[in-house]
Amino acid sequence: MTPDDRRFTREHEWVIAMDNGNVRVGITDFAQDALGDVVFVALPEVGSSVSVGDAVGEVESTKSVSEIYAPVSGTVVARNDAVETAPETVNADPYEGGWLFVLQPDDPEAVESLLSAEDYEALVHEI
Amino acid sequence: MPIESPLHPLHVAAGAKFADFAGWSMPLEYTGVVSEHTAVREAVGVFDVSHLGTLMVRGPVDILNTVLTNDLSRLADGQAQYTLCLNESGGVVDDLIAYRISDHEFLLIPNAANCAEVAQRLGRSGLTVSDVTREIAIIAVQGPDSDALVAELGVPQLEYMSFGTAEVAGVQCTVCRTGYTGERGVEILAPVDAAGDVWSAVVSGGAMPCGLGARDTLRTEMGYPLHGHELLPDVPARWSSVSWAVAPDKGDFVGRAAYVAAEADEKVVGLKVTERGVPRPHMVVTANGREVGMTTSGTFSPTLKTGIALARVSRDVSVGDTVQINVRGREVGAEVIKLPFVPARVRG
Repeated sequence: MTPDDRRFTREHEWVIAMDNGNVRVGITDFAQDALGDVVFVALPEVGSSVSVGDAVGEVESTKSVSEIYAPVSGTVVARNDAVETAPETVNADPYEGGWLFVLQPDDPEAVESLLSAEDYEALVHEI
Repeated sequence: MPIESPLHPLHVAAGAKFADFAGWSMPLEYTGVVSEHTAVREAVGVFDVSHLGTLMVRGPVDILNTVLTNDLSRLADGQAQYTLCLNESGGVVDDLIAYRISDHEFLLIPNAANCAEVAQRLGRSGLTVSDVTREIAIIAVQGPDSDALVAELGVPQLEYMSFGTAEVAGVQCTVCRTGYTGERGVEILAPVDAAGDVWSAVVSGGAMPCGLGARDTLRTEMGYPLHGHELLPDVPARWSSVSWAVAPDKGDFVGRAAYVAAEADEKVVGLKVTERGVPRPHMVVTANGREVGMTTSGTFSPTLKTGIALARVSRDVSVGDTVQINVRGREVGAEVIKLPFVPARVRG
């Protein structure tokens, strides 16, 4: 189930490298399932500069809120406004249509240090 | 180990996610809070609320009236009433539904977390109390289509807040026209060994299984108080806008003196968020830069598609006022509204 074309964080985000060197970020299927129905998404502003680990957004369900952390340092170059108006997309299609934002990483290699699909599955398995 | 509902295996089979409620492992959601919430508002849903306490109480109505705030002598046999149990300082021990079987026999449905203390207070006043919580499953069938569904299963028509015994899917039950959703509906008290038959019949009849997550969003839209949130032992009942459940003129009851003496300095109001943001409990509410209160419950309203909150605020806050809710450091605008957020449709 976990796509192997991308990297993952311990905070249950996925990060996929795009052809132009930017990275697209979203939350995993495990994360959306644990949250329940997503009803509200707040995304970082385009142009904002973020450091790895910064809380840059929020995904909320009816019962709880989960912060979105920057998986790597960089600059926000795009955001998926569609999930702000249709937050349920995060549940229905977490790995594609439910993407959250795009970062231009300060260090193009930084993504490589994140978890592989196999490592992430092992992490989820422990929970 | 948490206590499991007698219906637990059915919930597991239905793919429920569970959460701890006062020591009970109960379904939080099945397909998702939003679809379950919508089923109750638009069609019919079914909840397992077997974690609620069930107390059989025997003794004179006049004695029970000294422990609870509402006036049980105003009820006919076969009627139920929302009421409070106060402590000596006028704080709320619990809120509960009291069913009057006769003038000396009552069934009380307190919250799971407070059942033992309510039972203790009843016992101390000389009433005979039997805790039958573990013998009774409670199945709430709620929504505009609930009447037709339960009629099909053999439940006779009931007036709002009245109850009777009925055979439901072949099982002898007590059925009460009550609920916590703001929609028409009944709560069915079934013996645990046959409760699964009742649940399955209700589900087969078209009710969507709903978890306690949806129950909370539904009750919040109605502005119904929840003990531990709007109602607390160390906050005067007078400050929680529940005067309709208190009959100070009926005679003395525990907490009456403190209740009557308390100034209504604060009250509970509804806040409808007018910007993007979802309020949660314990968030500071300000008006023109001045702190005026605190949210007690908060969520996203699936019906209104906006954030909503219940808040305890100072009495000078009025319906129509604009306030700010501090949502994790961000000021989110909200309007003070007259509760409920969504019109109640329990009667008729």
